[in-house]
Amino acid sequence: MASFLSLLLALAAAPLYPGIILKVKAFFAGKKGPPLLIKYYTLWKLLQKGSVYSTSTTFVFKLGPVVSFAAAVLPLLFFPFAGNASLFSFHGDVVLMLYVMGMGRFFTVVAALDTASPFEGMGCAREVFFSTLAELTLFAILILFYRLSGSLSMSSFFSEGNTLTLAGASGALIVLVIVALFMVLLTENSRVPVDDPATHLELTMIHEVMILDHSGPDLALIELGAFYKLFFYAAFIIQLLCPFSLPLSLLNIIFFFILLALVYTAVGVIESIMARFKMNLVPKFILTSFVLGFFAVILTMGVLQ
Amino acid sequence: METLLLSLAVVLAAGILPLLANRLFTPIKACYVVLTLLGCGWGIYSLWPLMQLSVPATYTVAWLHPFELRFSLDALSSFFLIPILCVCPLAVLYVFHYMDHKEERQRIGVHLFLFNVLVAAMAMVVLAGNMISFVLAWEMMSISSFFLVLHEYEEKATRKAGYIYLLFTQLGALCIFSGMGVGFAFTQVLDFSALAKLPETAKLWMFCLMLFGFGSKAGIFPIHIWLPYAHPAAPSNTSAVMSGVMIKMGIYGIARFYGLLEISSPLAGQIVLVFGMISGVLGVVYALGKQDIKKLLAYSSVENIGIILIGFGVGMIGAAEGNLPMAIFGFTGGLLHVLNHSIFKSLLFLGAGAVAKQAGTRKIDLLGGLMKRMPLTGKSFLTGSVAISGLPPFNGFVSEFLIYVGAFYGLQLGGVQYVFAMLAILAMALIGGLAAACFTRIVGIVFLGEPRTERTAATQESGWTMTLPLMLLACCCLVIGLWPEPFVQAAFRAYGVMQANLQLDPAQLLEITGKMALGARIFFVLFLAALVSRKLLYRDKVVDSGPTWGCGFTQGTVRIQYTGTSYALSMVEFFRPVVRLSAHYTGISKIFPANPSYETHVDDVAEQALNSGLVTPVQFVLSKLRWIQHGHIQLYIGYIIIAILIALLCI
Repeated sequence: MASFLSLLLALAAAPLYPGIILKVKAFFAGKKGPPLLIKYYTLWKLLQKGSVYSTSTTFVFKLGPVVSFAAAVLPLLFFPFAGNASLFSFHGDVVLMLYVMGMGRFFTVVAALDTASPFEGMGCAREVFFSTLAELTLFAILILFYRLSGSLSMSSFFSEGNTLTLAGASGALIVLVIVALFMVLLTENSRVPVDDPATHLELTMIHEVMILDHSGPDLALIELGAFYKLFFYAAFIIQLLCPFSLPLSLLNIIFFFILLALVYTAVGVIESIMARFKMNLVPKFILTSFVLGFFAVILTMGVLQ
Repeated sequence: METLLLSLAVVLAAGILPLLANRLFTPIKACYVVLTLLGCGWGIYSLWPLMQLSVPATYTVAWLHPFELRFSLDALSSFFLIPILCVCPLAVLYVFHYMDHKEERQRIGVHLFLFNVLVAAMAMVVLAGNMISFVLAWEMMSISSFFLVLHEYEEKATRKAGYIYLLFTQLGALCIFSGMGVGFAFTQVLDFSALAKLPETAKLWMFCLMLFGFGSKAGIFPIHIWLPYAHPAAPSNTSAVMSGVMIKMGIYGIARFYGLLEISSPLAGQIVLVFGMISGVLGVVYALGKQDIKKLLAYSSVENIGIILIGFGVGMIGAAEGNLPMAIFGFTGGLLHVLNHSIFKSLLFLGAGAVAKQAGTRKIDLLGGLMKRMPLTGKSFLTGSVAISGLPPFNGFVSEFLIYVGAFYGLQLGGVQYVFAMLAILAMALIGGLAAACFTRIVGIVFLGEPRTERTAATQESGWTMTLPLMLLACCCLVIGLWPEPFVQAAFRAYGVMQANLQLDPAQLLEITGKMALGARIFFVLFLAALVSRKLLYRDKVVDSGPTWGCGFTQGTVRIQYTGTSYALSMVEFFRPVVRLSAHYTGISKIFPANPSYETHVDDVAEQALNSGLVTPVQFVLSKLRWIQHGHIQLYIGYIIIAILIALLCI
């Protein structure tokens, strides 16, 4: 029951948090900023509209938003929010999650290439390159988690008895993981310093340029999918930060959703104080996250032998 | 067993038909297709009861009494027979519209005959029960496929490709035969079953020779060089079967001899794993850099052979270290990937053949927009691309998932094995990401967007016998992805033959597969739900069409589209030390530049190293000995006399 409730809450609340990022950025710029519920308004507005399709496109273009949305929802079904058992779980579900997200990316990229726009092709080339490197980091982290917990499912990473949190015995390693994971979050969700969602020049975009030609409900599906993806990564980091051992599961859930704002605030702060990297620095940035994860893996070799 | 061999005879007989009576071109071709389909269908039908038997079925021919031919069928053989008997008939069906030049009917007749010889020979390789029958079938397979590659022999590139292929396949055969020689030297019998009694070092030597020999057929990096030559040169039905099925015979050889030798040292597993990782990563990187669709697919075969070997390597290390889950998951994943790859790779090659035939070019950067012009081919090709990238809910994911789980079990081991398991996981992750990049490139540039030339814009869909096999194969990809249990079970039974002396329990394997399949089905249902809700959201909405948003640029032509080369460039550059990237730019010198040109090539380091390290020195030495060949018959007779004299004196 608790897991079902937290899943529904997550699905409903995911569009709320990006509003926090905008608020933080507005605060740094000394502005008032858009209302906190701005993303809900945007989604509602998009759902009311029709669409314009490019004459170059085929059915693949329409399939892109659908697949990427489904791929963003699936990981949430396997995620144990606030330490509650997830709706589904099995040994190896993390691999399935990562590959399903890869499926979503495949169709986003193919749909973008369908428009025959040179800018979208450029965005696609960057997206597939950077996400390949980010996948390496994620698998290095999984290797570490398997070494520490002996399991391969999201639910058992964070179930009782496991110590994959900052407060646990291997907290020092988890610090490295959190930093690496945060860097992957920035990469995979196209935030500054990898990509700038607020830029106005198509030449410098990654994710935004791939969805240039989508409009109406299609764009709403893509946006909602992007919120879920960001939510997934943020929740992952929060689970590592905090053990969630309050006696009442409802309290845990509330505490979890409050803590989540922390990650989004951090994203907002970074976005306010940093500029986007030059494109050739991005692979180095992602490889740094891999090195952090890999370093943690190497440390476990020494500790356990 | 007899019925199975009889069905192969039917396949052979079907092949003789177009060879003898090619005057009536179309009816004979139809007869050929129907007879081959019947033969293969009968083969599958007769295979079914044999698969239920617990003891291997055997059939012996006392032919040339000292060398009896023996054929036997166990779970491993029948597992490899499935792709042979299921994929080859589809390639045969495809031929009906693919080879439709009546004026070339003699050549096509020969081609079809050799094609069926290849099918029968591959089945016999898998069925072979002793060394003699294995060698016989292996050579039949190599020679027939060599002639199949030479179909367009009047072109220089084809002759070169055929020559390189013959060289590698015979070099491989040399290693296999000498490996068998090692075995024979110790056991003194031609039977396979005695090989387990070899001393441990002899086993390892024999295995390494076998690995090299079968590796040259399978396409392990760095002895994969023939693949990117032979596949583009051969007609697409042949390259589909060669890449989808024939190179798996190399994998079969490795699996069979690993099982027979019962190697207990983890070194074999480590060697296989290292070659697997190198083949996997470099195969896909080169695939990214290639311009020719069929060359790209050939390199992608190298990559998939790498994935299979990673699975085998993980399994071998697991078996040697007594980590049974690791062994079961690694081997089952590797074997299942054999089946999966034979499905989607033949689908992709057949699709590429349809594109090359209809659009008249294999160059990725000249194509584009084919999804609208060849919708059925395009949809099947898209399915195959998703499947080969290992994405759920398609079949490629199932086998890669099992290999991942096996490698993760390997992390429980200590010391060096831990490092190997860790590298296997990271290599798989890298391959997965790059494969997705590679196949988004081919789908996006070839099938989507706008056609880049007028010739491409005039392309039309191919005939139904060419699209039907594609659609059937695409359906197989989805079915195995959503309901993998029976296939995983078959792969597990095949693995059981390889490790006869271990007590293996499939319960855990089937449980995890079942749950993984459930996850894939949930994703599929989510996708369908999203599709339906999208339909509902678009009810009563205004849907319009217009040009692509040009980012403010209004005078765009189709030539400003992103090309496949630029799409892959940043990734290829990232692998600079292992991939040679050379660019030729003529530059602009005058105010009105005449014809500036810019070309990039991605050159294979293995080929360059082989050329500079082996071929050039050998040629240099041999050029010094060229005076022996002078063309005077008197002196040749003199050579013979001297040779006989020396022989007489010495003996």
